[in-house]
Amino acid sequence: MLRLENLRAGYGPVTVLQDVSLEVNAGEVVTIVGGNGAGKTTTLRAICGLIKPTGGRITVDGKDTARLSPPGIVDLGITMVPEGRQLFPFMTVRENLMLGAYKPAARARIEERMEEVLTLFPRVRERLTQLAGSLSGGEQQMVAIARGMMANPKLLMFDEPSLGLAPLIVKQVFGIVDRVVASGTTVLIVEQNIVHTLQIATRGYVLENGKVVMSDTGPALLKDPHVKRAYLGV
Amino acid sequence: MDILLQLIANGALLGGVFALISIGLTLIFGIVRVVNFAHGEFLMVGLYATWIMASQLGLHPYVAALPLAVVFFFLGALMQRAIIQPLMNADPHIQIFATVGIGTALANGALMLFSADLRSVDLPWARQATDLWGIASVSRGNLVAFFVSFAATGALIAFLNRTHLGRAIRAVAQNRYAAPLMGIDVNRIYAITFGIGTGCVGLAAAVLAPLYPAFPTVGSFFVLTAFVVVVLGGMGSLEGAVIGALIIGLVESLAGYYIAPDLKEVVYFAIFLGILIVRPAGLFGVRGNE
Amino acid sequence: MRVALALGGLAALFALPFWLIPAIDPEGSGFWQHIFVTIFVFAAMACAWNILGGFAGQLSLGQTIFYGIGGYAGAMLNQHFGLIPWFGGIVGAAVAVAVAVFIAWPCLRLRGPFFALSTIAFLEVIRLLAIHFKDFTGGSAGLPVPMFVGTEMRIGWAWMLFREKENYLIIAFGLMALALAVSWLVRNSRLGFYLVAVREREDAARAVGVNATGVKLAAFAISAALTSLVGTFHGIYLNFIDPETMFSLPTAIQVAMFALIGGLGTVTGPIWGTLLVVPIAEAARGWLGAAANGLHGLVYGLVLVGVVLTMPKGLVGSIGPWLKRRFGGVAEVDSAARIQPPAPAAPGEERPPVGEPLLEARNLVKKFGGLVATSDVSITLREGEVLGVIGPNGAGKTTLFNLLSGFLPPSSGGVRVRLADGAWVSPNSPHGFAAAGVARTFQIVQPFTGLSVRENIMLGAFHGTRSAVEARRIAEEVAATVGLTGLLDAEARSLTVGGAKRLEVARALAMKPRVLLLDEVMAGLNPADVQQAVELIKRVRDSGVSVIAIEHVMAAVMALSDHIVVINSGRLIAEGPPSEIARNPAVIEAYLGEEYAHAAA
Repeated sequence: MLRLENLRAGYGPVTVLQDVSLEVNAGEVVTIVGGNGAGKTTTLRAICGLIKPTGGRITVDGKDTARLSPPGIVDLGITMVPEGRQLFPFMTVRENLMLGAYKPAARARIEERMEEVLTLFPRVRERLTQLAGSLSGGEQQMVAIARGMMANPKLLMFDEPSLGLAPLIVKQVFGIVDRVVASGTTVLIVEQNIVHTLQIATRGYVLENGKVVMSDTGPALLKDPHVKRAYLGV
Repeated sequence: MDILLQLIANGALLGGVFALISIGLTLIFGIVRVVNFAHGEFLMVGLYATWIMASQLGLHPYVAALPLAVVFFFLGALMQRAIIQPLMNADPHIQIFATVGIGTALANGALMLFSADLRSVDLPWARQATDLWGIASVSRGNLVAFFVSFAATGALIAFLNRTHLGRAIRAVAQNRYAAPLMGIDVNRIYAITFGIGTGCVGLAAAVLAPLYPAFPTVGSFFVLTAFVVVVLGGMGSLEGAVIGALIIGLVESLAGYYIAPDLKEVVYFAIFLGILIVRPAGLFGVRGNE
Repeated sequence: MRVALALGGLAALFALPFWLIPAIDPEGSGFWQHIFVTIFVFAAMACAWNILGGFAGQLSLGQTIFYGIGGYAGAMLNQHFGLIPWFGGIVGAAVAVAVAVFIAWPCLRLRGPFFALSTIAFLEVIRLLAIHFKDFTGGSAGLPVPMFVGTEMRIGWAWMLFREKENYLIIAFGLMALALAVSWLVRNSRLGFYLVAVREREDAARAVGVNATGVKLAAFAISAALTSLVGTFHGIYLNFIDPETMFSLPTAIQVAMFALIGGLGTVTGPIWGTLLVVPIAEAARGWLGAAANGLHGLVYGLVLVGVVLTMPKGLVGSIGPWLKRRFGGVAEVDSAARIQPPAPAAPGEERPPVGEPLLEARNLVKKFGGLVATSDVSITLREGEVLGVIGPNGAGKTTLFNLLSGFLPPSSGGVRVRLADGAWVSPNSPHGFAAAGVARTFQIVQPFTGLSVRENIMLGAFHGTRSAVEARRIAEEVAATVGLTGLLDAEARSLTVGGAKRLEVARALAMKPRVLLLDEVMAGLNPADVQQAVELIKRVRDSGVSVIAIEHVMAAVMALSDHIVVINSGRLIAEGPPSEIARNPAVIEAYLGEEYAHAAA
């Protein structure tokens, strides 16, 4: 469904991604593993169209996204749950969710979708009328994921969903990620807590210095000596 | 009639005038995060446009209000696309200079075209006084401006809160980074917002034309007050702008009478500086939503 | 060579009116003298404005406050006390400095458009006050500059009043030359470097010990004094002053406009801007005649919008680099190729033993609204030690660094540092910490992108010296230590991630700190670079600097640290030597992961 071929990208004169090739097929859970600064977030930002690649190709169902703006890519069914939640803090949770379904296709059946999503995340239903900025970190992360689901995406991308959360809350968030996966949504996830993500991932890619250096099934990567040494500090 | 009540009535109505001019400015700042230093010059252009329509075409200024607002919407959107958009990621200084340059060019262009003479729309009805329950006497035109400013603000607030587009506009203001991830075209939102803010000025110009003459520097006369109002109310807050405008109207009216007519502006500039120093978010601004 | 060229240019500019005017205006109408005086006066004001608006990046649109003060000081002392304007000018400049400091105190806390708005507000207030107090100022009717008082003729050099218009040209030119010279001196002094640093990245500037408010205040004062001098002269020259012309917003805008068109923050830009725009506007007015009232303003506005859209760096800022590329033959620097490994440790250098506590944080708490980012953290750094700080992303490590370097005030608790003489201090600002010998880097690198690598490192070196020559020497020495010698002349923006990280360390090292705070200097580096960074930090440690390092690269943390503290959710959950930390169950659960434990077992 999503395919990156020899992608190069960066910020201004700094090239962060040297050569990234990966693919995500429908129904898969794919994870990208790598150290801070290896280019994981940059990869997701390039897929969303937030930065323009300087080389290589990104295709969604065979369609090149080079000319598309971020909203155009959302229209293709690609949605990101960004790092640090990035809610609209002075709006209610309900308004945040409604914005998740901003694109016309999703807006057409916004009420049904809201019901489906709230069934998936009953905790969010209790908070609908509160301002998003007043929620705790864990609740905000839940709302951010629910907002992403509102678009009824073909592919939902997570960028560091456990960032800055206490260990107990991290467990809850992973529970939600598992629920999203179980609902049949295709997922691409970047997460520093690689133990959990590699266990649920159908496939994983290891990114170092902006290059994919290794790929395999999640559990296999978890047993790989290089991964163990570099990312688990063993 | 009690002089104090009359002063309060005058001040409140003047506040209505200021509010009408300020809501567009605060909207543009709140969403696009650009302080439009040419805002007053747009008002000046609107006053001239109303004057031309009234004197040449015989159009009633209040009838001209709606078409003028529509034309100004497109003018504003065009200015955003052509001049502000390319500078959105530039240093804030550069944006200030760009709008200052537009303002300077417009004011001096008007001076060339129309000379420095005052051009007044002749609408005696608007200047006639009407009695308010025996406590104060105010001009009808002022009363109209007062109500129009409340109606326009109410309509804008409803638009921002109750429509998909309005929500998208607020979303862009609150989180520029996340908005495109929702599929919102941020640049389009900026152009629309600039258009709406400028459209408000067009509306203001038509409503104020019977009360204030057009002259090339009329913009700077009003825009400084509008800045004070907007900072006082909290940059970006529409409700704040209306309340700030009422406060400044009252200050101007009361200080002009009780302190000295030529020092009334000193009083509200002092308030302005005080607010900037003590509470930069303004009276009704939300921290972080500035 | 460049100085000679500049002086030659100035001399030519000075000679121009004397040579040109008799040729084009043999009748001697005085019109052209007036144009040239106007050009020189505006160029001088634009130069003065540029010190504040360009170097310091504080966009003032109320600069005519000081122009007016100078004008009124000259005229009022003349009118009321019969004092010569030269004296009035000095008094005016002193008053202008005092007013600038008074205004700067509230205004400098504001940024961008708000600063500009507040300067406009002050200008309006002062103008209205000048109108109101008519007993002193003559009110809106204005104040004439008297030529005759009784039988005394107040004319000649002492009174700055002449029948021969050429003398005005000389004084106006002198003022411009003075403003230019001051501007050049400022730009090439430590103050100039500091101003640019504060403008580009205030945080990074504060980290190298710059008192940001102090240097902006200095720029404000210098700019005000120069502007006031110009105002005194121009008031006398115009023979008449009133609040509308002296405290004029359009004039203030024009002055800023000329500087921007010429090139913000360049030394000669304001003069070029004035030279370009004033003649265009005057010529256009000449062609279209007096009917074209407002034409010059229209031209100014359009040129301004055009310049902003096509070359926001102004004439000098855009054309200068182009000329250099075209004729100077400066090759593009391939930055990746020029980074060398850090210099090897000198033989015989031995690691000094770990000593007494040097920096202590006691019960630090930091709350942001309801969110507790740091909760009761106490740490101690000993002399000669490397203290590692680890924890998951978002755990509050960078907040801790901000508390340890004065960038954030703690909600409760405190930090103290032992000085070289043994006394303990508790600074409360970044420059206070810098003065106590604490230097830091930033996780998100903060190079001064408009400056060269050399100038970036010099900014750190200025912490210990006022002399640019000495700072340059220190910069070169530090560059050799970190392996940036080949890139000294490259622009900082062209560096790769690895290069920028090194520059970050170099700038901190150039401050000759006793404590160095390193925030993820290895993030994003490849394994070879990491190895070099480890060696570099060891060298720094061996040279007697104590280090606190936030790091994610576990192998490096384990190899470098003498002691490790683990932060999670703002709390210190464990501390101890590396070997213990690796086995600590709480650390494994929160950070290393359960797999780590299995694999390690």
